[in-house]
Amino acid sequence: MQTTGTTINGVLIDDTFAEAFGMSGTGLIITADSEKWALQCAVTLTGFGTSVIGCGAECGIDRLLSPDETPDGRPGVRVLMFGFSPDALIPQVANRVGQCVLTSPGSACYAAVDGPVAIPLGTTLRQFGDGFQTSRRVAGKRYWRVPVMDGEFVCQDKTGCVTDAVGGGNLLLLGHDRKGCLEVAESTVAAIGLVNDVITPFPGGIVRSGSKVGSKYAGMFASANDAFAPTLKGATKSELHAETACVLEIVIDGLTSKSVADAMRAGLKAIIAGGAAKGVTRVSAGNYGGKLGQHHYHLRELV
Amino acid sequence: MSRLTLKLKSTPVNRIDLSGLAAGLAKLPAGGVERIVILSGGKPVWLGDVFTVSGTAGSDIAFEGGSDRLDGVGAGMTGGTLTVDGNVGDGAGTGMRGGRLEIRGNVGGMLASGMKGGIIHVTGSAGDFLGAVSAGHRFGMTGGNVIVDGNIGARAGDKMRRGLILARGTAGEAAGSRMIGGTIVAEGGFGPHAGQLMRRGTLIAPRVDRMLATFADCGVHDLVILRLMARGWASELGALAPKPFSPAVRRFAGDLSAIGKGEILLTIT
Repeated sequence: MQTTGTTINGVLIDDTFAEAFGMSGTGLIITADSEKWALQCAVTLTGFGTSVIGCGAECGIDRLLSPDETPDGRPGVRVLMFGFSPDALIPQVANRVGQCVLTSPGSACYAAVDGPVAIPLGTTLRQFGDGFQTSRRVAGKRYWRVPVMDGEFVCQDKTGCVTDAVGGGNLLLLGHDRKGCLEVAESTVAAIGLVNDVITPFPGGIVRSGSKVGSKYAGMFASANDAFAPTLKGATKSELHAETACVLEIVIDGLTSKSVADAMRAGLKAIIAGGAAKGVTRVSAGNYGGKLGQHHYHLRELV
Repeated sequence: MSRLTLKLKSTPVNRIDLSGLAAGLAKLPAGGVERIVILSGGKPVWLGDVFTVSGTAGSDIAFEGGSDRLDGVGAGMTGGTLTVDGNVGDGAGTGMRGGRLEIRGNVGGMLASGMKGGIIHVTGSAGDFLGAVSAGHRFGMTGGNVIVDGNIGARAGDKMRRGLILARGTAGEAAGSRMIGGTIVAEGGFGPHAGQLMRRGTLIAPRVDRMLATFADCGVHDLVILRLMARGWASELGALAPKPFSPAVRRFAGDLSAIGKGEILLTIT
């Protein structure tokens, strides 16, 4: 059990680190006639995009964009997608944009990341136009106009991809009250949401099924993190204090290592500010002993 | 900043071909700028025979005064700024790749033929075949932006492939003929036979005289691509950008006697 750490404002900050991995990351700007439909489109696209292991990509909304920030002057949303490699992201982008953006009323889709690798966007989706599609170059960038039933779907030809993104930054919130712990986790996700270039890909940004590597069952890559499961405190080699009743994890993916560190810093600040009052007693982080991930974020360096 | 100033010694009797000026400045002959070879009436002469030359060669060139007989002004430019206070003749900006050509007067024919990049701004009007293909070439303009504050002549953008032609006034007959891509905006309207045999590309105007029967009326639409283009022009051209217009336009697809993937968009005021 973790015994060393620093207590700040009634919350014990474990002397440990989050271990994260190198990933590839890409991004899209989705616009629509209204913020409601841009957001609807983005929520649909990023659905079932929690873990790269089971979903093919980790997806989330980075932030809402005002009309001044979008290429076509309409309300927009910036979404980020992370995968093991650019090649792994290519079908994810094509399928998700094809099924969730092309189909959404009034939508348009543009590149949101400048990176050394190009991910096809309109390059492949244009074929939906069945020969009626046309392309247009605006300010040096190529866009496709694909006829659809409410007008035209405008889609940039390619988006960029960075190969030095980071996936798996994380914070573990431990508390003696499940409801209070969830409220603090929500406010932590909100604070992280203010940091650019990061997403928290799990439902509402929060994970309750943190896992350990491997399983007693063949074919399972990950299984219950019994050391952090409160109902197993007395039955396994637990990492939890006696009063801990709930552990929630916030996983963070970012386009840069700095953005992940900034997000963890913002999250820690939110937890320290309001955590103790709602029953959060401790913050920890998930790691594999430092042997698997290239990026280590030490909590004590972030508070 | 270095600046080279050229002033005609007298009103030219012959046509003066300045299309070799850019190459001459890039590789100055012994004897300097005045010994750059240009053509007068088809015969080689030195620049210094025709112009009074002052200043030093650099990124800026200024013609103090112009003439309808100055051909090929700014041809082959790759950067910098060239300003003419007056009219120029044919072939200005031909094959231009970059930089800015500012003509404070009227321009003859074949302006920006084969242009690949850069900006041309004409405060007066321009003649026929603006941005059009010239003999022996496959395409007309393949990039860049041409803004004419007045009217433009016939066959503007013939076989144009990419870029923008903007006329604040009207465009003459058959603008966008055989067009392959790019955009022509005529804020005062197009003349007859606009878009004749165009394959792709976009013509934008409030009206067209005698729309060709081979353009199909596709109705009024709010096109997102026009919002995108307006933003692109505004950021690229600033005050020179086309005047804002509603993205709701009446779309005519054509020319259906070619492959029909071009369009004429009539703005709605």
